[in-house]
Amino acid sequence: MRLLTYIILGIMLALPVHAHEMVPAYPEMRPAHVDGLLVTTMKMFNKRADVEFYEVGVFDENFQPVPFVTAYNIFKLEYLGNTTFDIYIREQDRNRAAYICSRSKIRKGSSTSTAISSKICSKIIK
Amino acid sequence: MFNKTIKSMAILGVVAIGSGNTFALNAAEVPITGTVESKCIIQTSTAGTYGNPNAYTLSTQQADGGDQAVVRFDVTLADAYYAEITPPTSFSSSPSLPDQVTWTGTVEVQAVSDATGMGTYEADKLEIGNTDRYTLTATGSTWFAIHSTATMGGNKAFPGGTYTAVAEAVCVAK
Repeated sequence: MRLLTYIILGIMLALPVHAHEMVPAYPEMRPAHVDGLLVTTMKMFNKRADVEFYEVGVFDENFQPVPFVTAYNIFKLEYLGNTTFDIYIREQDRNRAAYICSRSKIRKGSSTSTAISSKICSKIIK
Repeated sequence: MFNKTIKSMAILGVVAIGSGNTFALNAAEVPITGTVESKCIIQTSTAGTYGNPNAYTLSTQQADGGDQAVVRFDVTLADAYYAEITPPTSFSSSPSLPDQVTWTGTVEVQAVSDATGMGTYEADKLEIGNTDRYTLTATGSTWFAIHSTATMGGNKAFPGGTYTAVAEAVCVAK
């Protein structure tokens, strides 16, 4: 039985997969070069061949949006591509902002089956 | 003339050896660096397909001719993440529909890389509306199977065409 489990696990590990990855898991906001703003740097890696675009957002504990600024809210990230981006929030939102999330964007009509939207949320260190 | 040629060859040789050494030194000093960070990776193993067992049902069940969607979560830090998975609740693209569609969906743990540490994931899951929340208490990989069924109201038939629905897999740091 255990051997069968390992065989199934081995087969599943060998299957081609498409991954979405964002770090750090626990970013820390630091003062930006502009007064009244805080900034943190995030890094993303796209190993999903079926996804080219990602959207980032900042949210509070209840996943309500918090105002933020970054170079592009929706950006293109090629398959196997890395990108680093800065997220700026207002100092007054320091205690409100809880999560920085990135979500895969799936093109309408690009799939003929069930598609999977992936979303990773990092928790901001208070 | 002969001496001059010998001298030139010797100079060339020294230069060549010199460059070779420099190259060798540079090659030996190429650093490879890396950072290990705690992270959660979402891998879409199988996107899933709908079967059409009768005119008014689309289903990902194998018995109905479909394929379940499978998503894998890899975590490198124990008890630091939630996996939240929501089966589809609408079509993202479809032909014009004649009636309301009723959606049902289930999520279940299909396989784990650590049976001891992850064995209770399914029993401990929390159902929040359509979303199933799992606390990823151990490091390693977990495969989740997502089943989805769409039923057309009034037993009307699904019009011919391509249908796409999106399941959502979310990894949230605790």
